[in-house]
Amino acid sequence: MNGLSSIRRAAGLMVLVVSALPAFGVLAETEPNTGAESFAPVEEYARKVEDFTKNAPNLNKKIEDSSKRIDSLDDVSKARSEIEQLRGVVADLLGRVSDNGDLVRLGAKALDHSRRKLQALEQDTRFKPDETKFLIEQWRELIRQTERAAEDLDKARREFAELLGMLQTREDFIDELVQIKRAAEAIKVIRQLTSEIRDASEKLKELIGGIKPPGA
Amino acid sequence: MRGFARSLAGLCLAAFPLSACGGKNGTGFIQIKTVPVATVSQPPLYLDSDKLEPLKKGEAVVTRRVGVTKLQAEGAGGQLAVLCEIHVRKNRITTVTISIAEKPPRCQCRNNPDAASRIPRTCLG
Repeated sequence: MNGLSSIRRAAGLMVLVVSALPAFGVLAETEPNTGAESFAPVEEYARKVEDFTKNAPNLNKKIEDSSKRIDSLDDVSKARSEIEQLRGVVADLLGRVSDNGDLVRLGAKALDHSRRKLQALEQDTRFKPDETKFLIEQWRELIRQTERAAEDLDKARREFAELLGMLQTREDFIDELVQIKRAAEAIKVIRQLTSEIRDASEKLKELIGGIKPPGA
Repeated sequence: MRGFARSLAGLCLAAFPLSACGGKNGTGFIQIKTVPVATVSQPPLYLDSDKLEPLKKGEAVVTRRVGVTKLQAEGAGGQLAVLCEIHVRKNRITTVTISIAEKPPRCQCRNNPDAASRIPRTCLG
């Protein structure tokens, strides 16, 4: 995909620029966080974000298919079990973007590395001013893109959490209706639920489609 | 075999202290909100003994193993005080709002109207 190849290109370019300078070879031994090494966390984060945006539409399709199946069911217990499965799909997505998940952790690591790298470059006197300026601009842009991806994932997390909350509340309400033998009302709630799921699914599709890995 | 499973679980917990390691009962979620949102100093929060990162914009959603988790806040003396117990259920989200303006902070459970009558409060997902 474009994102990863441009990241690789950018990483390659940065390594090329710094390694072309004679002093770099010596300095690299004393500074552990230089060149491609400091770029690795950003690349790893970009790869994970890309994985997420690639896989999420499949899960989103599962949500849509499931809502279609639920819509055609007249059997409350079958519909209920379908909703339960749907919760599993949404939980899977939420798990990927939760605050203690891999993506958030890697995002924080990528930002931390990028900010430290930028700080180091701002004090670096090895390169010509225009070369330093070029590198600083590249890192600033990467930081902006990484922050934007993190914000988009924050939004996705809120949406998934809301959808999961809605599914479980509706499921509980259906259970309550079943307990008092109001199957017809339960079916009505199920029909309303499928339209809410479709709306949420559309929103998620847009949201996930807008997430760009840093470097894309 | 049981020993191997136990060491695997230990390894998992050691590697990912805050993430769920997907035990046989699976995982669920805890959504923590603080009111008011814009508070300069937020007391450090813990889920059992795992310290949470400071909440961004007063909210966090964390994955957690199914079961009961204690939500705790660190007091001035560094002592942990239990704010409430949270029941995490598979693929469900339990929402807890913490009123941090109060001393000590107080849990408000979204789904459990009789939580206030229990000590500690118990929030259900």
